[in-house]
Amino acid sequence: MIYIFDGAMGTMLQNAGLPPGYCPELWNQEQPSVITAIHKSYIDSGSDIIETNTFGANRIKLTHYGLEEKVALLNTAAVQAARAACGPDTKIAGSVGPTGKLTVPLGDLSFDDAYNVFFEQISALDQAGVDMILIETIIDIQEMRAALLAAKAASKKPVICQMSFGADERTVTGTDPVTATIILEAMGADIIGVNCSLGPAQLLPIVEKIAQTTNCPISVQANAGMPSLINKQTVFPMQPEEMGLWAKKLVAAGARYVGGCCGTTPQHIKSIHQAVKHLALSDLPTVQSAKKSTALTSRSKTIYLGADHPTVMIGERINPTGRKQLAADIASGQFISVKKEALSQVRAGAQLLDVNMGVPGIDQAKAMQYAIQELSMLVDVPLVIDTTDVNALEAGLKAYPGRALINSVSAEPERLEFFLPLAKKYGAAILCLPISPAGVPKTAQDRLVVIQEIIHKAFEAGLKPGDFVLDALILTAAADARAGLEALATLKLYRQHFGYPTTMGLSNISFGLPRRDIINATFCAMALDAGLDAPILNPYDPLMQQTLAASALLLGDDPSGRSYSVNYAPISQSEERAAPLTPKNIIEQIHLAIVSGEKEAVVPLVEQALREGHNSIAISEQALTTAMNKVGIAFGNGQCFLPQVLLAAESMRAAFLTIKKELPAHAATSLGTIILATVKGDIHDLGKNIVAALLENNGFTVIDLGKDISPETIVEKALEHKADIVGLCALMTTTMPQIDHTIAALKAAGCSAQTIVGGAVLTQEYANQANADSYAANGVDAVTIAKGFMADKTH
Amino acid sequence: MPIYNPTIQTLDMSELKRYSGLTKCTEFPQHLLDQACTEAQIISQPKASWQIYDYDADSSTIMSPEPLSLPPTVISKHLANSLKVAVIAVTIGPDLEELVSEYFSKNEYTLGLLLDAAGTTAVELAADQACELIKQDANKQGYTTLFRFSPGYGQWDIRVQPQILTLAHGDEINITATSACMLLPRKSITAVIGLTPTVPNLPHKETIEGSKCDQCQQINCLSRKD
Repeated sequence: MIYIFDGAMGTMLQNAGLPPGYCPELWNQEQPSVITAIHKSYIDSGSDIIETNTFGANRIKLTHYGLEEKVALLNTAAVQAARAACGPDTKIAGSVGPTGKLTVPLGDLSFDDAYNVFFEQISALDQAGVDMILIETIIDIQEMRAALLAAKAASKKPVICQMSFGADERTVTGTDPVTATIILEAMGADIIGVNCSLGPAQLLPIVEKIAQTTNCPISVQANAGMPSLINKQTVFPMQPEEMGLWAKKLVAAGARYVGGCCGTTPQHIKSIHQAVKHLALSDLPTVQSAKKSTALTSRSKTIYLGADHPTVMIGERINPTGRKQLAADIASGQFISVKKEALSQVRAGAQLLDVNMGVPGIDQAKAMQYAIQELSMLVDVPLVIDTTDVNALEAGLKAYPGRALINSVSAEPERLEFFLPLAKKYGAAILCLPISPAGVPKTAQDRLVVIQEIIHKAFEAGLKPGDFVLDALILTAAADARAGLEALATLKLYRQHFGYPTTMGLSNISFGLPRRDIINATFCAMALDAGLDAPILNPYDPLMQQTLAASALLLGDDPSGRSYSVNYAPISQSEERAAPLTPKNIIEQIHLAIVSGEKEAVVPLVEQALREGHNSIAISEQALTTAMNKVGIAFGNGQCFLPQVLLAAESMRAAFLTIKKELPAHAATSLGTIILATVKGDIHDLGKNIVAALLENNGFTVIDLGKDISPETIVEKALEHKADIVGLCALMTTTMPQIDHTIAALKAAGCSAQTIVGGAVLTQEYANQANADSYAANGVDAVTIAKGFMADKTH
Repeated sequence: MPIYNPTIQTLDMSELKRYSGLTKCTEFPQHLLDQACTEAQIISQPKASWQIYDYDADSSTIMSPEPLSLPPTVISKHLANSLKVAVIAVTIGPDLEELVSEYFSKNEYTLGLLLDAAGTTAVELAADQACELIKQDANKQGYTTLFRFSPGYGQWDIRVQPQILTLAHGDEINITATSACMLLPRKSITAVIGLTPTVPNLPHKETIEGSKCDQCQQINCLSRKD
């Protein structure tokens, strides 16, 4: 059967005289007959389900009108007004809209506060007698998760979850319809759908994607096309007849609950009713949802695990066991190393990240909540929550705006008792580990028995076939000669008996043995053949990366070996870079290393040159100075770029320091003393820092006074250090006049130093009017000008 | 007044290269670019706040509680068809610029420069995401959004910065303006986004053609788009 929802409430209220800026929900109390009449008009047009006038009747939204204490009253009045319009077959959906605030981590509303706000409203709707709860127009999956959890706690009635998507088929916070559907179905949504933001044409492909993902009934409530603004009124262009035509297509795509959102009227609903109400389901095309496997999601990405999908790499590196620095990072609350590991593993190809916060003595729940929250903002791969602490597990699951995998659920009583209900509540999948109170089963057959028990208990807790990943359990080959064989046999038995996706922590196999990478990679290849779907491993291991790439090709997951070839095909002769110039001697080698910015290479070369008897002056003049001059010229000609100049300067510095260290007496003498400062009021110092670096590494003594420096200080320091040159920098028009003041102050104080000015807003013309001696457009210019000045001064 | 924490999951390498002056460079150590990206992602704390106001195009005035008149320059022309404006403030927080200074003090100039460029890329990305939220909300009401226009663009006097910051509630995300009208943290942006009526059957068109660089007077800027 096709069910028909109603259309827009807001437009109808405005037409009925609701003043602009007035709280629409207050009319439930003040003008219930008007609300009832609107509902009646929709019912008369064919609506099977009407939605209460409670879209904004939550505590946060009502606070805007000073009505926050009327949540229960206005929701109850809304249900009464709706009930007054109903015939015997009409159902009432309690409308629950967004809070208007973004939920942590995207906003400042905590998950618990969001949950409480929804719980309060939904409790009122439930107690007032709605037939179902409709959570709608949500753009943040985390807010929807809070609302759905609240609905499940406050009511036993069916819950419809409708997200709003943009034209790119994602919510504006990044969630696609497939990902949203997987998360919401796993958390127990009864009907999944989409409303608002777009017209039916744009919502059609979104409905198709939802239908391909779930067997849940699907609802859709489109706007009456894309609006325009005419005479300051938002006008939706789609006429009722056209809406009816689209309704047929939406039903054919899989929708079973159809209504309207912004801009739709009773006429639109009548048209929809006439178009689809009497369609026989048997006449509709059957929508084939995706073959069941286990799906995990982040906020914005879904990863499928199973025999019909390519191997998924689970990164194991966010685990402090045996890693002091990572443990200290977690204990300190910094999480810098945790974040680095996350980004690095994803760059290395990990598609899921295991997250373990098992540092002794810390509040693991707090650490897990923070880690999950931060990582959900940093990477888009789904997360695996790896903990034995039930509080840490719940904290992580609550904080995660996706569908996580719980690592792990064994057959030990406390895991079954506490972990399974959490998996059900938060819609997580579970990694089943064949360990029982009796210990670790040695044989594949024994492991099968334990897994059967876990799955049985999981089904009793309400989990479903798509919720499992089975661990084959690897023991150490050095301690147990059959460890590898039993793990491989377990994988085969799992596939034969269950067909659920499989995993295992590969590196256990090689514990205590040399060249563990060889054993791990070899075992990985064998396990993939035996049915391993998602190995937990170190993604940085090059041998493992090669093995996985080759295995993907051999197992048919890399058609024509395209991906393998891209990564491992030798570079053809024509693609190879032109051979670099071959330096004739050590001086040329140093020169080349400086020009190329090879900081690490230059130090041993300078050491070698000194050992070979080259004196420091020859090295400085023939290799270092000429190299920097070459780089400066190349920069001026547009053949070399600022970061390359800085790399050369760093290499130059490394070379100088080496000379100084080896032969302190031969250290190069200073070309001159330069005072540098960003002028008073100006806080930008990047450009000035670059100039300082280049001058220093070209042989000048630089006294960098920093940023926001007053003319008085600059004058004082210039005189104190008998500066040859004063370099001044300003970035903004508002601070540029300080250049003038400072130069005037220098001249008034009798300072004989030359002035060089520069900075984003400065020009040669400005430098002239400020009486500066020179203008430098960039750091390389500044070096050239300074050298020229010192040369003139010396001669 | 919405508060939004944008996500920095990937940084556009071509933008990072542009901001560091490497657009035309064909060979540069990738590991340094990757390191700058990674550190910027880890250390950024992106936040955005904004407020929508009515706009009177006839008098070029933002109708905030204390109305703000805009000068008869490019900004007024840009907003000529706007009925509303969103005034927005975005930052990635102070940590990144501190790390940039630390790199320079350790004589790791290149990484300092690249990290600074990655910070610019990050704050622009954060602003893009916040603008997308404003855009989608505006579209639902029949408005089209124009590209964001910041103090300093197109001869719009930077001294308006404190007022713009106030209208955007920048203090809520810890952005302040110095007496010289610079934003702190330095990797922060303020801007005004015009909301014009969506005209049926016409593709959305921004009033001013070309890139934001066309509105900037810094013709020698290393990051300038050709």
